[in-house]
Amino acid sequence: MPTLLIILPLALLLILNLPLLRAARRVSFWLCAVLALAQVVATATHMGGLIPDLGAAFDPYIVLQLRMTGLSEVVLLAIGIVVLASLFTARAMIADHDERFKFGNLVILAMMGLNGTALLADLISLYVFIEITAVSSFILIAFDRDSDGLEGSFKYIILSAVATAALLASIALFMMVSPDTSFAAVRAALAVSQHSFYVNLAAGLLLCGLFVKGGLVPFHWWLPDAYSSAPAPASVLLAGIITKVSGIYALIVVSTSILTVGGAAGEVIMVLGIVSAIAGALLALGQRDMKRMLAYSSVSQVGYIMLGLGSGTALGVAGAVFHFFNHAIFKSLLFVNAAAVEGSLGTRDMDRMGGIASKMPVTGVTSIIGFFSAAGIPPLAGFWSKVMIIIALWQAGHQTASVVAVLVGVLTLAYFLSMQRRVFFGRLREGLGEIREARMSILVPAVSLALITVAAGLFFKPVFSKIIMPVGEMLVK
Amino acid sequence: MDNECLLACAVGVPVAGAFLMPLVGRASKTVRNLLSLILITVPLGASIALIPTVLAGKTVYISAAMPLGFNISLAADGLAVFMAIVSSFISAVIALYSFDYIDHYENQDEYYLMIVLFLGSMMGICYSANLIPLYIFWELTALSSWRLIGFFREEHFVKRADKAFLTTVFGALLMLLGFIMIGQQAGSFELAVIRDKLAAEPVSAVAAGLVIAGILAKSATLPFHTWLPDAGVAPSPVTALLHAAVLVKIGVYAYARIFVATIAAGAFWDQAIPAIALASTLVSAGAALVETDIKRIIAYSTVSQIGFIFLGLSSGTELGVTGALLFILMHGIAKAGLFLSAGIIEQKTHVRDITKLGGLVKTMPVTAVSFLLCAFSVMGIPPFGGFFSKYMVITGALSGGRTALAIAFAACGFLTIVYLFRLFNAVFLKEAPSQEILVKEGSHTMVFSIAMLAVLSVAGGLLVSYPAEFGLEAVKQIMGLVK
Repeated sequence: MPTLLIILPLALLLILNLPLLRAARRVSFWLCAVLALAQVVATATHMGGLIPDLGAAFDPYIVLQLRMTGLSEVVLLAIGIVVLASLFTARAMIADHDERFKFGNLVILAMMGLNGTALLADLISLYVFIEITAVSSFILIAFDRDSDGLEGSFKYIILSAVATAALLASIALFMMVSPDTSFAAVRAALAVSQHSFYVNLAAGLLLCGLFVKGGLVPFHWWLPDAYSSAPAPASVLLAGIITKVSGIYALIVVSTSILTVGGAAGEVIMVLGIVSAIAGALLALGQRDMKRMLAYSSVSQVGYIMLGLGSGTALGVAGAVFHFFNHAIFKSLLFVNAAAVEGSLGTRDMDRMGGIASKMPVTGVTSIIGFFSAAGIPPLAGFWSKVMIIIALWQAGHQTASVVAVLVGVLTLAYFLSMQRRVFFGRLREGLGEIREARMSILVPAVSLALITVAAGLFFKPVFSKIIMPVGEMLVK
Repeated sequence: MDNECLLACAVGVPVAGAFLMPLVGRASKTVRNLLSLILITVPLGASIALIPTVLAGKTVYISAAMPLGFNISLAADGLAVFMAIVSSFISAVIALYSFDYIDHYENQDEYYLMIVLFLGSMMGICYSANLIPLYIFWELTALSSWRLIGFFREEHFVKRADKAFLTTVFGALLMLLGFIMIGQQAGSFELAVIRDKLAAEPVSAVAAGLVIAGILAKSATLPFHTWLPDAGVAPSPVTALLHAAVLVKIGVYAYARIFVATIAAGAFWDQAIPAIALASTLVSAGAALVETDIKRIIAYSTVSQIGFIFLGLSSGTELGVTGALLFILMHGIAKAGLFLSAGIIEQKTHVRDITKLGGLVKTMPVTAVSFLLCAFSVMGIPPFGGFFSKYMVITGALSGGRTALAIAFAACGFLTIVYLFRLFNAVFLKEAPSQEILVKEGSHTMVFSIAMLAVLSVAGGLLVSYPAEFGLEAVKQIMGLVK
């Protein structure tokens, strides 16, 4: 199955663009959606051990080192869900058939890159697939070809170039001590020469490159521009999964499979996590643009994931993985809501909105669910992952970090309340009497994502003991 | 039905049933209203049915195992059943009153959803036997009160709803930290395990302080009290439910559950809590003396009376703690009556400033008499219910050796009398500033609700021995366990 997850998107991309198949363009949306849905179903059933490995026949011909772990399952599931949400949002927001076709192509390309990132156990191929995703997202951000989009895209390209240079340099340095770039080989080589200056430099560069990709403070400043200037469906994809997989997932996998968390790397991750959690939340408080606020909120939530990872315990890493998944779901949900609002009102300025929940009840209710999950209000999924991280930090002796994680919860609540007050909750602002609820193809992903968030919270027990905790234990051996 | 099933119903039925409200509301308003009343009376009935068992000294316990020790455990002992009956009964009266009050506003489905969810979470808090579900239900009450306070959707109303939400969640998060510290020390979040493990080694003052911060934030005690008067912008039944009768009592109940029935707060907090309570009582009584908004006066009065409850709970004597429990009952009934009367006045006159009110005793005789009876109970005039509870709390403090505190609180009791008479005079007795302010009584259901609360305030005093005996049993049960 891992092979299929890379081959099928690639094949679909090629088939859709065959010159003879212009007719296929009309149904391209549904083909892409079916592929993403297949990924969701296949991953979910694979988690349950229900289906045999269909792609095994291809394995001998693939040179890539693919591995399907519990962690990749969680990430692949999130990828499938967010890609679906983004596609449905695009269906509502992009009217033109050709444009929608192009968008579908880019999403499928990004999906291939993300799947590869989630499955690889080799540094150089990891780098290649991160770049595939990045190329697709450069274009997605500038999809509308307006000046804002180009600016956001340009910033992302520049910082990505820095990250790329850092990643490549670190791989080159690792090659000095390691026979090849597979995670296992690098880890073994590092264990031998762990105090060498070059090895430490390489590890530092690797982490820095991924910090940039993940948008952690102090490398966060490209992220609000990119998220807010991208067209709505692209920002769902970017915020929900692209930066999370190519930055945060890569950090989780690198720091657990190559470096040893709990050492110096763990401390760096922990400090950046604290700074990101606080700074992101404070910056979010001051925003007027709905998508920028959500973008800064991402910076803050990613800080939580880093705190869990930095704790170095199985519970903490499991909490980080769970929060990764939850964040993908609730942040996509909130961006889908933002798309619905932007589609109906034609603005993202929260000071020009007010009380629109009365006109857009579904969007209003689902936004509250996303917000509660993000703010860690029980019993939604985000509460459980945050509590896991907080308890893990406390048990690992990082009391200060634990206190910070708890208190940032108040800031999170504060900015989300301010968003609710300015956008949804309250009296309908004058002049907004004509607005309507968003179209069905936006409400479908919003409701589905909200249901996933609620279900992951209510069924915490099986989710924790069957899926999340085994992943944490596997990563921290 | 067996006891375990009753206990599960008391919490599960309202929490799950709340989410039916928007669905049922689409079909029929009447059915929805009745269903909400039924969902609130189910826990009341279930709790009453549990009385014989707990009076026999038994504890009903059910538990669903969860990872990390987050077990959803519920236990019914005397204290829990007492609190559950008080809060669900008052909530039922308030729900009855809402039928007419809320009838002509928008978002009624959301209103009933939140009211029932709130009551369900309250039941969850009463019966929780594990710190984690206690925290979960605690946050659920915070989120339902957020929606309820912002019910009218005006911008500055929503801001105040946000303030209440932020303050209580800030406290709750501190409390969660405290819970984690206690849980680490005891190796479990189960209250029964914590009680056994920590009988010999007291928790650190920091852990206790964090939990107490959460409690003070919820019960609107100094220094976290300002959200309560601000939350008076909510519809009157909501202010009565959340801010007089039930929500603020959650904090007090959690104090009783954790620091009276489970662990010792430590020497520092044993001294500090009554001092904080006294400061809170004095400051808010002063504020109630100068405020001119009818609902803010009553809200400050609540802040002030909560201090008496803390005094009783921290006295360490059976008499004081029993008095505090009675105080929860009597104050809940009487204060709900005051808020609901204020609601009738506000809805009929559209005025909340007492300088613009007056003379209403002529046109609203039933409301006026009910208001006065409830006010007597809050003041602590014999033989009303409030007298016995206040007397027991202060005597409890005296017998605990805190003479100076007891005297100071008695003086605060005098202030209560002053500001409530000032309020009664300004609204009902003094000459009306204009004729148009003289309006007729509210609807029958609404007036019936407050008259019932007034009668109960009287009956609570005349028949005080029944709740007092039950309270004493409950207190013996929990205090016997600690010592």
